[in-house]
Amino acid sequence: MQVSQLLELDRISCDNPAASKKRVLEQLSELISQGENALNQNQIFDSLLSRERLGSTGLGRGVAIPHARMKDNDRTIAALLRLEHGVDFDAIDGQPVDLVFALLVPEQATEEHLQLLAQLAEMFSDKELVEHLRDSSDSQHLLNTLREWQQQH
Amino acid sequence: MDVVNQFILVASGLLLLSILASVLSARVGMPLLLVFLTIGMLLGSDGVGGIVLADISTAYLVGSVALAVILFDGGMRTKIANFRVGLKPALSLATLGVLLTAGITGMFAAWILGLSWLEGLLIGAIVGSTDAAAVFGLLHSKGLELKQRVGATLEIESGSNDPMAVFLTIVLVEALVAGQQWLGWDTIWIFVQQMGLGAAFGLLGGIMLGVIINRVQLSAGLYPLVALSGGVTVFAAASVLGGSGFLAAYLAGIVLANRPLQSGQNILRFHDGMAWLAQISMFLVLGLFAHPAQLLEIALPALLIAAVLMLVARPLSVWLSLLPFRFPREEQLFVSWVGLRGAVPIVLALFPLMAGLDNAMIFFNVAFFVVLVSLILQGWTVAPLAKRLRLDMPSGSEVIQRVELDVPGQLGRELVGYRLDLDSPALLAGLPKLPGEVNYAAVLRGGKALDPCQLDKLQGGDYVYLLACRENLGALDKIFAANAETERQAERQFFGEFVINGDARLADVAMAYGFVLPAEITSELSIQEIFAQRFSRRQVVGDRIDLNTVVLVVREIEGDQVTRVGLKLSR
Repeated sequence: MQVSQLLELDRISCDNPAASKKRVLEQLSELISQGENALNQNQIFDSLLSRERLGSTGLGRGVAIPHARMKDNDRTIAALLRLEHGVDFDAIDGQPVDLVFALLVPEQATEEHLQLLAQLAEMFSDKELVEHLRDSSDSQHLLNTLREWQQQH
Repeated sequence: MDVVNQFILVASGLLLLSILASVLSARVGMPLLLVFLTIGMLLGSDGVGGIVLADISTAYLVGSVALAVILFDGGMRTKIANFRVGLKPALSLATLGVLLTAGITGMFAAWILGLSWLEGLLIGAIVGSTDAAAVFGLLHSKGLELKQRVGATLEIESGSNDPMAVFLTIVLVEALVAGQQWLGWDTIWIFVQQMGLGAAFGLLGGIMLGVIINRVQLSAGLYPLVALSGGVTVFAAASVLGGSGFLAAYLAGIVLANRPLQSGQNILRFHDGMAWLAQISMFLVLGLFAHPAQLLEIALPALLIAAVLMLVARPLSVWLSLLPFRFPREEQLFVSWVGLRGAVPIVLALFPLMAGLDNAMIFFNVAFFVVLVSLILQGWTVAPLAKRLRLDMPSGSEVIQRVELDVPGQLGRELVGYRLDLDSPALLAGLPKLPGEVNYAAVLRGGKALDPCQLDKLQGGDYVYLLACRENLGALDKIFAANAETERQAERQFFGEFVINGDARLADVAMAYGFVLPAEITSELSIQEIFAQRFSRRQVVGDRIDLNTVVLVVREIEGDQVTRVGLKLSR
């Protein structure tokens, strides 16, 4: 499955002003739940948060990939935040995070879920992609950057 | 006069040649010690040089002092933190392991060479210990970062098994000189005396040396010399009084370096050079002393003895010695193969020569041959094998410059400098957050010093100097050192994509990712408890637990607890 195909334009927020880890997760829950009647924003927040409690999903170099499995959810949904200012995310390198890609998957999709996450982590460890994402001007531009990268790889 | 000058010319020329040859060895991947030994042999009596070194006692003197310096330096590089995972296994290898290796190899040697049992055992004892110089050289060489448990075990083993081999050799030589058929019960008493005195001298000597270095005010250049002469004094004093000098020197080094020391960095750097000098001169002299032509005569039996040593005796004794410690199989295999022999056997082979034993020359030649085979075969293949067995850890970049700060009463603080690469994580967002008690000391940009208080962003090419404690260095590297793209990829490959805290319950992790745990794992335990259980409390960074769908890899350890593990999703 292509990562960029999971992401819809209205689930991208560019230069989001969220200033704390909690706010970031809330914003992501909102982006994910919008237009999905089966999903409850608070539940999404709770599952993202409980995953963070096991260990931060901040991969270092300013990138975080919060993720969770969700009951009552029948498809994989992604959201992307680019923050105005870096936020303390307890990342592995202790540095603030400004690019956050969240992934919510259905409860039964395990193997696929794991491979998708591995793919995401690889993608966001690419220095050039991350630089381009930081330079992108708006949500559409962010999406295009992701698509272009995926076509090349 | 002229003779003296000629001697100086030859000696210094040899030294220079050997040092330059080391560049070549790095290119070909040839073990350095082999280079020195070869140069010695080439220039020796049978080689093109025709230098005749007939005096055994010179070879023995150089060998002993050099070995003492190498062990002292090796001790100073042994981190106390390594003791948690490596001490007990290493001691088991250094005592039981040497005994078994010497016994098995010795009996085979006696049989194939048609010697008496005692003579055979003497050969076994001579080649029984792994070589500190070779193993230290290997472990600290660039480009190989071994998993801590393996590295620590090998390191402490190689430092502490020489005394055992020396002891066995002396006892056997004395028994043979006295015409005994077998060893008497007093052997045990001699063992206790050698090791007890050696340990006492080493520990006390190390503490005293530390006090002297920190109390006495000297000019900076003298501190390293105090350490060196102190180390050699400890060695000699212990030996004179019937203790094991080698054990004393190694222990003194450990004790000395694991406390805050005045000029500590200076002392270490100086000893690095001295240890090189010791290795070069030892191997050169031993190479000069050998007679390659005679080696050919015993080539076949010696080759078989080397084969038995490397393929039967060492693996078997490693397996038995490590049995209580539950080492993973690939680590046992690696420890078995890194039974590098080096100068110690050759120095030990001089003992029977000096004692004037009948077959002394055979012992020497066999020992020399075994060392050559071991250096060539094992020395050359160690690094590839470590990679193959996945014991080679992805290594981060190092601090480019560390300047020790000698503030009186402020031991253990260092001034650390980095030149920021364009790749450096520190450039990502604002001024990086510093861990612990670290402070900016200076930031230099384009040759100008900037005021760290006024600074809001760093740039590529900046020189950043920080006042830090030793324990912060790792964290600082992560922030400032440019971690090249390839290194980060390697790190992700090794540790996995995501990070989980050590105190998280495994059941919760399984829940979050929806995988089923293997039946033998108690999922109610936290991850750190599971690792401690699986690895008998000797868990180290890089240890893995395979959960079928995902793999957990230890990323960080504090004290003896796993604080972070990597979650590896892709295969």
